[in-house]
Amino acid sequence: MPPASQVSPVLEEAVVPEPLSHAEQAASGDTEETLATPRFQIFIIDAGWNSAAHKVLRENFALLSDLQKGDPIYVLSREKSVEFIRRNYADLVGKDPIIAAHDLDLLRRSGTTGFHGFRLHLGLLRTEQQALLALQAFCRFLATHRQSVDLEAEIRKDLRREGIIGAIEIILHHEPRELGG
Amino acid sequence: MPETWSEYFTIFMSALAVGYLVYEIDRRRRKLHDIWDVLGGEDAELTEGLVSMVRNGELRPYTGGALA
Repeated sequence: MPPASQVSPVLEEAVVPEPLSHAEQAASGDTEETLATPRFQIFIIDAGWNSAAHKVLRENFALLSDLQKGDPIYVLSREKSVEFIRRNYADLVGKDPIIAAHDLDLLRRSGTTGFHGFRLHLGLLRTEQQALLALQAFCRFLATHRQSVDLEAEIRKDLRREGIIGAIEIILHHEPRELGG
Repeated sequence: MPETWSEYFTIFMSALAVGYLVYEIDRRRRKLHDIWDVLGGEDAELTEGLVSMVRNGELRPYTGGALA
């Protein structure tokens, strides 16, 4: 693989001519181009706690990677994850494995000042079943909202719906689906 | 107005049940928001940290193989 210094000019050249956002591409019906351009970039931060979530992520990562083909996935090594959390974000201790999805459309348009993606704190889930459900929900969300025009509104709508469904389950004495714990 | 102790007891138990429901729904809502965190302006530094790792070449896209 060539060094980054040789690769990046080519990438920059390909990106410079103001690419259409996914929303604009979706509106113009340019679906092939939409699929070829990454909408999200995904980061995996995992300090390596001996937890159910760590095990589930390790066992299902290949599938996650296959499902997210086209979106770059960056996996921080154990050392980098520990250093990253320890140095800057102590409140993330114990919440890892963390999967952060950045919306590249929004990052291009408005940077990091406003909404620009979401984070799944898998480490907060205690059982393998909970972690697996959350991981599947994550993949489903990315797949179904790839061409979303207003991702923030859709995330908030989904969270609200989960909350309402959870409330109904409690009222009806159903077994909670364990996504929220 | 309730007239017997059993009526008072029923009202008390109903209030407890409603209180428990409100508490449980709020607890689940908070947990859900802890697990699924929306990235906003306050997370800019964290996002920049990750993006700069990519920019500096410290991180490269995953291309295959198992996780450590």
